[in-house]
Amino acid sequence: MISFSQVTKRYPGGHEALSGINLAIEKGELVFLTGHSGAGKSTLLKLIAAIERPTSGVVSVSSQNVGRLPLRAIPYLRRNIGLIFQDHKLLFDRNVIENVLLPLDIAGFDRRESLKRARAVIDKVGLLKREKASPISLSGGEQQRLCIARALVSRPALLLADEPTGNLDAGYAADIMAMFSEFHQVGTTLVNATHDDRAIAALGGRTLRLDHGKVMEGSA
Amino acid sequence: MIGWLRHQKHAFTAALHRLRAQPVASLLTALAMGVAISLPSGLFLALGNLERLAGDLPAQPEISVFLEAGASTAQKHVIAERLKQADIAAAHYVPKDDALAALSTAQDLADIAAGLTHNPLPDAWVVRPQTTSREELVRVADNLGKLPGVAETHLDSQWADRLQAALAIGRTGVWLLAGLFAIALIAISGNAIRAQVLTRRDEILVSRLIGATDRYIRRPFLYLGALQGLLGGLAAGGVLAIAGEILRGPVERLAGLYGSVFHLLPPTPIEIVVVLGLTALFGWLGAWLSVTRALRQVEAAR
Repeated sequence: MISFSQVTKRYPGGHEALSGINLAIEKGELVFLTGHSGAGKSTLLKLIAAIERPTSGVVSVSSQNVGRLPLRAIPYLRRNIGLIFQDHKLLFDRNVIENVLLPLDIAGFDRRESLKRARAVIDKVGLLKREKASPISLSGGEQQRLCIARALVSRPALLLADEPTGNLDAGYAADIMAMFSEFHQVGTTLVNATHDDRAIAALGGRTLRLDHGKVMEGSA
Repeated sequence: MIGWLRHQKHAFTAALHRLRAQPVASLLTALAMGVAISLPSGLFLALGNLERLAGDLPAQPEISVFLEAGASTAQKHVIAERLKQADIAAAHYVPKDDALAALSTAQDLADIAAGLTHNPLPDAWVVRPQTTSREELVRVADNLGKLPGVAETHLDSQWADRLQAALAIGRTGVWLLAGLFAIALIAISGNAIRAQVLTRRDEILVSRLIGATDRYIRRPFLYLGALQGLLGGLAAGGVLAIAGEILRGPVERLAGLYGSVFHLLPPTPIEIVVVLGLTALFGWLGAWLSVTRALRQVEAAR
């Protein structure tokens, strides 16, 4: 489903975030990206979602060379990807349910179906009682859960998560990981950048350790 | 198709929310647009009323046919018969005595008429042809001039030509002004939308990250621009209605002084629909230009 062939990403100023990466992630696979801060985990996720373009090499998602994808085609690629951001990227002038509805509105879903889906996923992340609340009134952990709900609501084929449980307490982190496991079991491909060893141990899957922009090791 | 309609409905609702969220700013933008539109629209209405007034006047060109002093009764009969033909709309005979009497009553010429020892004026016909085209009028005048017993003809269409030329200049001026104010309208709408885009920068970036196309992002702003244009058109209607009410009394008094009954006419329903449609279109166009440029800037700054 995802392949990197000799992929290098160099940012303006010369910092090389990824250096000649080669990897393949199969459809339905669960992959953890680990490594210290600045190892290149977030950059790798951004390249998959076409948020960044590689400096050289080929990034392929569902047989599409996303590095050469025309700008107008990128939104359609992203509609099949659930993105969970480290900094949540929530809209503070919309309430909880409106934030979760956004991907469905963009995809042109029927309003009644959208509300049903949104409430179901908000319930799953434990925010149903706060569906009318502004995200600004939520704690860091609740904001992270809201971000996860927004990523999951469109039932994407590929889920990219950048430190999804970093701000959550152990109980909610376990719930979120259980939810990821459910999605993984129905065929969703999951790429999860994390430092959470308990999650890695609980869910299994493959681990790719990045160090200074290179894949150092992989384990299954 | 259903998805497209859902997007339109969603964008329209979002535009209404944005309009309601900033009522004072929306009102001020609509007022600025209204004032910009009211000037060419007001001139257009004034010109329409002026053309109506000109239409009430004997703007039709006339030909004066002066007879020879010794024209015979038979010749006068031939001329009268010729003036009954289809190319002549109306003709009336002015005997030389009537012409002198009219001259004697004219304020500036009374002294001259009193000093005359005999009547030097000829008998004449005042002819109004069917045609208004300059070439045709010249042809009719030449034709009448060749009749036996006719001394000369005088085509009197100059003042009507001048009036029509002045009105044509007025019409051109109104269109030029309308063009300039359309540009102003696009600029006002573009500026208002640009401010909206910049305040919604985060929303645009997040929407893009989760799969929104530029078309999806642009759509609510386009509806917002069109709605603001529409409100501007309605504001212009209000300005013109108030101006019309203020001017109605003085115009009718002035017309009364000239022994005329003249009422200012309001715009027709079709004119109202056209103006509202155009203002909505210009608002939309301003929004399109602004949001397209702003989206590029947001992308570049990311």
